Amino acid sequence: MSYRTHASRAEAFVLDHERTSWHDETLWFVRQKRDKAVYAVPEFQELRNLASAIKDHTLSQLDFYLEQFEAAALANGVRVHWAADAAEHNAIVLDIIRARGATRVVKSKSMLTEECHLNPYLIEHGLEVIDTDLGERIIQLRDEPPSHLVLPAIHLKKEDVGETFFKHLGTAEGLTDPQQLTEAARQHLRAKFLAGEVALTGVNFAIAETGSVVVCTNEGNADLGVNLAPVHIASMGIEKLIPRLQDLGVFTRLLARSATGQPVTTYTAHYTRPAEGREMHVIIVDNGRTKQLGRPDFRASLKCIRCGACMNTCPVYRRSGGHSYDFTVPGPIGSILSPNIDLKKHSTLPFASTLCGSCTDVCPVKIDIHTQLYKWRQIVAEANGLLVAKKLGMQFMGRLLASPAAFKLSGQLARRGLRLLPHALSHNQAVNAWAIARELPEPPKQSFRDWYAQQAPTPSA
Amino acid sequence: MSSSRERILAAARANKPALMSLPPPSDFGGDASLARFSEVLASIGGTVVRLAARSELAATVQQLFPAARLVASALLTPTLVVDQQTPTDVLADVDLAVLAGEFGVAENGAVWLPEAQMLHRALPTVTQHLALVLDQRQLVATMHQAYARLPAGPGGYGLFIAGPSKTADIEQSLVIGAHGARSLVVLVY
Repeated sequence: MSYRTHASRAEAFVLDHERTSWHDETLWFVRQKRDKAVYAVPEFQELRNLASAIKDHTLSQLDFYLEQFEAAALANGVRVHWAADAAEHNAIVLDIIRARGATRVVKSKSMLTEECHLNPYLIEHGLEVIDTDLGERIIQLRDEPPSHLVLPAIHLKKEDVGETFFKHLGTAEGLTDPQQLTEAARQHLRAKFLAGEVALTGVNFAIAETGSVVVCTNEGNADLGVNLAPVHIASMGIEKLIPRLQDLGVFTRLLARSATGQPVTTYTAHYTRPAEGREMHVIIVDNGRTKQLGRPDFRASLKCIRCGACMNTCPVYRRSGGHSYDFTVPGPIGSILSPNIDLKKHSTLPFASTLCGSCTDVCPVKIDIHTQLYKWRQIVAEANGLLVAKKLGMQFMGRLLASPAAFKLSGQLARRGLRLLPHALSHNQAVNAWAIARELPEPPKQSFRDWYAQQAPTPSA
Repeated sequence: MSSSRERILAAARANKPALMSLPPPSDFGGDASLARFSEVLASIGGTVVRLAARSELAATVQQLFPAARLVASALLTPTLVVDQQTPTDVLADVDLAVLAGEFGVAENGAVWLPEAQMLHRALPTVTQHLALVLDQRQLVATMHQAYARLPAGPGGYGLFIAGPSKTADIEQSLVIGAHGARSLVVLVY
């Protein structure tokens, strides 16, 4: 089976120049908001070090903290479930819902349930599943996956949203005002919240010592859903653990500033015990994470707190759009998480990067993202084999660049050749993918080496 | 116990790296002033209103929310009594909730609202408007100090609320009043 490459999936997105530029600029604006918020906190770099150290420590004791969390949660009256993979997770969710005889499910944002493809599974089994985060609801109505970790509908314009709401929510045709569109969604989703029987949430942080799960939102949709429905199911990856409540001081200071430049999310909710007469479930999910933990070069990717800063800053993500990654988590972090899940399917993602390192610079938990991208390239090349042309080309260039004489000769040939060759040949897109969207510069008359030799020798001191 | 539990724990044990140390809790000091708190809260869409005295609460609320018909509160005479048993359809009609915040965080404008002060867990988000009453001596500078104030844990359910409910999911345009409270006022005395 062959898979489409990141570049081929990005082609549709980049066709619309105006939209590509808008996407690029908008995400860069979010990056600038992040910078402004970060520079206002003098100890921000120290916080990054602390966050990284806390996560490193937790991963090094993960079995211990998992058991500590479970014991505390059980003591709080929370039911704890364990799922080795997506299928088991989804089956557990369905079992809990069925045991209540419920059919109406309200859901707040959870990348883990996206990863497990929970929505289609529940809908197949006859349940109504409503995504309640505004961006998530928009893309759910359009039957699209999210294109960003925290801005799921960032690939859409307000005209798209207006059209979607006209079709599904009965708003006026041509309505594009974000305020009015949001109000329409508020009214529509209020009814869903009030009727919700089971509330699903993700987990931003799980506190081992108290058995609490913490969910951060700006809209308040997680809290509305959970506190109105009789049953709360929280799905968490094993890497969401942190040891102590105190550690949240570090992470709540980093998360929203890194994500959107806000000082903190509007709602930081701590769920420890179910309300009287209600149920709270936590599903602890592995789905490939313990495997990643066993890869020394890549285990640091498990420290990710899903802020999205790496995608906002990434020159490739900003210009190719989240859907071009075809993975639950797009952008640089998705490109180092996805090969662990399916090396063949996602083999082009580690190459969807300039290796500029900006992702690493902004990561609030100091994941060495660009280094891991580089290391995945080595593994992809070994496991899948590079394209023959690329492989031979690299070998050829390697030998050429290692020999001064060969380099000099080939420079001369290229300078002459490029002047003589017809454009159709030098920029032949079938052979030279580089030329698809680029023009070579005018070849210089002489090389630097030739020019240097002609200069009068500098008098020695 | 489920076999997945054992398998996950065994895999975590087998694959984890060598022990790394856990840094001690930190505290970077910082500005815990009401001025800072007010400035940050204003920047995220909330408002601070100063009460000359706690006894002015009812009059100030009346003045700020003249149109609020159904008001839930344990701090003033409510027009709607809300407790843990209040059904959803009644909660849905609450115009205003006036609740006691425990302490505020100057760096981000957040107020800690423990379950005991919520009347019903859904009230702080289901109400159309929210007013939190806060003693101005109960301000801390940062989230480090905020969590240090919760040595017994966060309770069954607890919220940091920083401003009104908001979203920017449509073209990054900020809209106040997504699903939770449309406005947030912190009444400081």
